[in-house]
Amino acid sequence: MIFQQLLNGLVVGGVYSLFALGFALVFGIHHILNLAHGGVFMTGAFLGLYAVLQGLPLWLGFVVAALGGGLLSVLIEFMAFRPLKKSGETEFGAIISSIGANLIIISIAQKISQTEVMRFPFETFPVIIYRFWGLRVSFLQLFMALMALALMAVLLYFLYRTPIGRKIRAVAGNEHAAILLGVNPNHVFFTTFFLSGALAGVAGVLIGLAFNSIHFMMGEPFLLSAFVICILGGMGSIVGTMVGGLVFGMIHTLSVAYLSSGLTESIIYGLLFVMLILRPNGLFGKSAAGALRVQR
Amino acid sequence: MMQFFLTYQPVLDHGLLSLGFAFSQWVVLRAGVFSVASAGLAAIGGYSAALLHLDGGLPPFVTILLGAVLGGLFGVALAWPLARLRGVYQAIASLAFVQIVLSLNLYAEGITRGALGVDGIPKLVETPLLLLLSAGLIYLMHSVNTYRLGRTFETVRQDEAVANSLGISTIHFQTIAFAIGGVIAGLYGGLTAFHSYHLDPAQFGFEFLVAALSFVILGGRRSVVGPVIGTAVLVILPELSREFGEFRQLGYGVILMIVIVFMPQGIADTYLSWSRKKRLASQQEAQ
Repeated sequence: MIFQQLLNGLVVGGVYSLFALGFALVFGIHHILNLAHGGVFMTGAFLGLYAVLQGLPLWLGFVVAALGGGLLSVLIEFMAFRPLKKSGETEFGAIISSIGANLIIISIAQKISQTEVMRFPFETFPVIIYRFWGLRVSFLQLFMALMALALMAVLLYFLYRTPIGRKIRAVAGNEHAAILLGVNPNHVFFTTFFLSGALAGVAGVLIGLAFNSIHFMMGEPFLLSAFVICILGGMGSIVGTMVGGLVFGMIHTLSVAYLSSGLTESIIYGLLFVMLILRPNGLFGKSAAGALRVQR
Repeated sequence: MMQFFLTYQPVLDHGLLSLGFAFSQWVVLRAGVFSVASAGLAAIGGYSAALLHLDGGLPPFVTILLGAVLGGLFGVALAWPLARLRGVYQAIASLAFVQIVLSLNLYAEGITRGALGVDGIPKLVETPLLLLLSAGLIYLMHSVNTYRLGRTFETVRQDEAVANSLGISTIHFQTIAFAIGGVIAGLYGGLTAFHSYHLDPAQFGFEFLVAALSFVILGGRRSVVGPVIGTAVLVILPELSREFGEFRQLGYGVILMIVIVFMPQGIADTYLSWSRKKRLASQQEAQ
């Protein structure tokens, strides 16, 4: 029984990681807390759903969600974050302007969906259940886990083995020095925000398939858990975020299964608080969370 | 005139209550702490004020004061762990605190009545009292901002290393800021309870926190007029656009984005620094 729960937690955790990765990418590279990430995630789920309802195959739904999420995220960067860069007040400004962007996205989605809770048509994804070693795994769960793993691997390859990935890491290290060395920061911004949005879009479709509930507010709880995951793994660390997501998924399912579900939130956020106090840089993070800060 | 006042009295009351929460958020930001714990502190103050009256049988205004004290105590208790963190990390840790308060509130059904919320609170807080308190609060915040404490806060906020080298203890002054912010949040939480007959656990959640934060950042984080203007704009504008009904949220989002993009320091602070620049320029011309 406990192994079954661990397995479920691992699968859910993988999808949580996908969502949190996009969030961590933007924070790690541009030091921006993108609170509209939940809205992008929800948009991805909506796009995937509408694509399937239009009769497109599911894989095309994923593509549409990834592209749509990516473009929306780029649009958010262009409208909400880029104008703030000149003022030097990004830390506070970005939070408020991304909250504004999120409100806009959510209210448009509410209008489109007419506040309904929607779901993918039955058998959009074949319902096949495998049993081995006394465990029960559905094909969907396997697919989710594999998809999450594959996307993470692609992201790591992209960041550490390609020229544009090197540019992104250069901007993350020191944006000014990178610009002096001839890196076009706008290009890097475009790429990271597109990747972040695409990951959120795919995560949206996966969660929509798994939990069968797609509605305009579905992003909020995920955004809050993305905070937890990123802190667990260390803000901005890619590998840390992946592991953080898996740990989060397991803690979540285990505490729902064995303790009262009413206490789950308290446990998770209590853990987050303690983690921040004891190891503010997370399990894998390097940047200094407690460093003295100078504001211009 | 009377008719106008009566029509908009609920909006006015809402605005005055919001102003309190805006100031509770403003004080901590003033001291350079990026804490969003006000929502949790307001929940603690509001619930303890309401429950101590309904279940504990204490007179209402005593419980409101007790709520304020409790808010302050929790604020001070938070100051110590949060002092280990900076910037966004502080925001996330205080967000965790708010979520813990919220979920414990839902869990402890025996005490807090869980998801149903607290009903049957007598309405004792009326507009005149709120007006009086807000005037007092603005005066108090103005004095804090103008005199020694405010200057110390400004130093800590601008450059911690310089503040430390001048012998200013960061944690000491940030604890003071937390205490002030916590007392205000607790007080206004209690006032909310005795104003609206009812307390709902979700009332002091993420949305509340976002609202309090946007009041301050939109208005301005340095001047005392900042939170006043921010609250006024964000309470009145959605009210004016009431005819558009379902697009109110959209309008709120657009206002937030436009103002912060064009006036990143907030409405009041941008205006103040602009007028100071103009004054200096005209002085130079005169010379």
